Order: sequence, then C-alpha cells, then structure tokens
Amino acid sequence: MLIKFIRQSWLVLVSALAFGLLVAGVNAALEGKIAENARLKKEKALKTLLTDATSFETITDDEGNMVYSVGKDSSGNIAGYALIASGGGFADKIELLVAFDSEIKILKGFYVLKSQETPGFGDKITHESKPGEIGFKKRFQDRPIDNKLIVIKSGNPKEHTDDNTIVAITGATITSEAVTKIVNDAAIKMKKLLEK
Amino acid sequence: MATGEKLELKQNQTPEPLLHFLRGLWEENAVFRQMLGMCPVLAVTAQLQPALTMGIATTFVLVCSNAVVSLIRNLIQGHLRILMFTLTIATFVTIADKLLQAFVPAMSEKLGPYVPLIIVNCLIIGRAEACGSRKPIITSLLDALGMGLGFTLGLCVLGTIRELLADGALFGISVLPEAFPKWNVMKLPAGAFLTLGILLGLSNHFLKKK
Repeated sequence: MLIKFIRQSWLVLVSALAFGLLVAGVNAALEGKIAENARLKKEKALKTLLTDATSFETITDDEGNMVYSVGKDSSGNIAGYALIASGGGFADKIELLVAFDSEIKILKGFYVLKSQETPGFGDKITHESKPGEIGFKKRFQDRPIDNKLIVIKSGNPKEHTDDNTIVAITGATITSEAVTKIVNDAAIKMKKLLEK
Repeated sequence: MATGEKLELKQNQTPEPLLHFLRGLWEENAVFRQMLGMCPVLAVTAQLQPALTMGIATTFVLVCSNAVVSLIRNLIQGHLRILMFTLTIATFVTIADKLLQAFVPAMSEKLGPYVPLIIVNCLIIGRAEACGSRKPIITSLLDALGMGLGFTLGLCVLGTIRELLADGALFGISVLPEAFPKWNVMKLPAGAFLTLGILLGLSNHFLKKK
C-alpha cells in the first residue's frame, strides 16, 4: 500500500522539497534588502513630516513592532513624535504615518503608507500640493489639535487653515472623513502613550 | 525533380520552436486572441509602468515554469499533473514577488495583490498543459517566451492608451500639452473595460479570417 503511494507521488514529494529549498534560498538572499527598503521608506516619511528633526528613535513593543517614533533635532531636543495609524477608507484600509509636535498640540501632517483609494478622487490624499493651491495633505499641516478636526464638504481651503475644520476632497468625502478620523484617533492614542 | 522536392521541404520546415514563438507573439496573442489572464489586463493597466512590470513578471514565471514542466514531463503522472503545474508556478511566483519587493519596491506596492495572483493566471497553466508537458525544452522555452512577450505587449498597449488619455503622460512623465482634457474615467475600472472592448473589436475586425 505504502509503496504504491510513494511510487505515485514521489515526484510531488521530491519537487516540493526542491522548490521549498529554492524559495527559502531566495528569501534568505533578499530578506535583508526587503527589510532595508521598508526602513528607508519609513525614514523618508519621518523626514518629510518632522523637518526639524535630524535623528529618530523608534520605541518598540515587546514583539519589536514600532509603537511610535521620536524625532530629535541636532541639539538633542525633542522635535516631535510620529506614529503609524490605520483605519477603513473607501476602498481598503488606509495606513498613515501621523506626526505631532513635542507637546502634541500641533499636528505636523500625515504621510500615506498604504491606500487603495479611487484613482482621480480619493487618491488625492497621496498627492503633493500644486503651486498656489492647498492640497489635501497640506490642509493638515501645522493644525492645532486640542479639539477634534471635523470635515466640511465645501469651502475654500485657504480660509480654513488654523481652525479645526478640514475641507473635503470634492468627490471623495468618505476618504476625507476616513483620513480625518484616523488622524483624530492617532492624536488621542499619542497623548495616552506619552502619559504612561 | 529532386531539387524541387528539397525546396518544398525547406519551405514547410519553419523550425517548430520559432513557429511557437511567433504564434504566441501575435497569431494567438494571449490578450487579444485567446483572452487569457484578463484579471491583470484590466486591473494593472491604468499606467504604463505597472503594466510593463506585470508583463515582465508574468513572462518570467511563464518561461521558468514551462521549462521546468518540460524537463520533468516524462516523469509526471497524468492524474497528478495539475498539482505539479501549480506547485511549479507557485514557486516561481513567490520568487518573482520577492524580487520585485527587493528591487522595485514602489512597483511591488502598486501592483499589490496582483503579483501573487499570477499563480491563477490561466495563461501560465494553459501553456504548461498545452505545450510544456508535451514538447521538448527548446520549443517550450520559446513558446513561453512568445506567449509572455505577447501578453506584455497586450498589457503595454492598454497601459499606453489609458495613461495617455487619463494623465496625458507616459511612465509618469507628461507628454501631452496641459490643455489636453484628462479623461479620469480611463483610470477607473470602467476605462479598462472600454479600452479592452474597443481593442478587441478592432483586432477582430482586422484579423478575422474571412
């Protein structure tokens, strides 16, 4: 019985082993580079958000996952904090890196790490501002966040730069609201983390 | 008489591997003639660069898996062949995914789940069944290469049209004047269906044997 099975399936067994070894080899060879790519991406995001900071220290939990990052300027003072926050968007989960000043009173902005929002509408959250316009990302920069940010559907972004209102992207209210909620939740979470 | 026979023989003797290669590239083009692998064709062709990356990744998997299947074709048991094909394809897709993550991380992120989904691209398993498991290695290699390049060509045609109309750009670089109206629909799934439908109609109109 057993011999019959082996005669039938020896090729599957052997090739499973061979292919497994091949995949393991490729993984071992590229693992370092992939991890390095992820680290570079996070560092780039941190640098664009916390412009004053020159060095970053990552606080991790027991399992080695990032909880938040502290940015320090050249003289060692804390320039700001950043953490990864996520929530449901219009199409899929949105993952942001959200940055605050050293007292968690001013929002420094966000950087989109992951999003699948509708091209042409919701994906404007990832775009940089065109000259002379205040793009969606820029609407969050240097905002006081003592109060929760709220989304308004229409309005001129230039008139809403220092209150707690964010003008939504035309045609992408759900995405705008999702991003604002993630940022609000991130602010609360960050404050709690620092109280500990 | 003898020379005439020889000539005739020569004419019929377009080498088989080359015949397979050309057939995949045009006559039996995966996108426009066979309509295989429609999922990536519709999903990743909003811009030229992801379309090209996807085409290259698919060609890599196709060539490697067809070669391996061809090498072990005499050892495969008939009723276990699909299992063997899937095993082979999955291995090379995993390798392709890791390579993309390591060397073009931005594209890997953009393509997202569609790289692992190459596993279920029926073009690849179709070639393993129709060619890899029957023909010697050289024919299989060229067949896979032809089919893969034909598929890449199809993806790139769609990618070019959609990116031009949606952004006025190619490879993310603006090529059309600012005044060109941007057809946002071309970035959306609807644009993919429209473009593919029109291209299929055109290719049927011009290539159909009468």
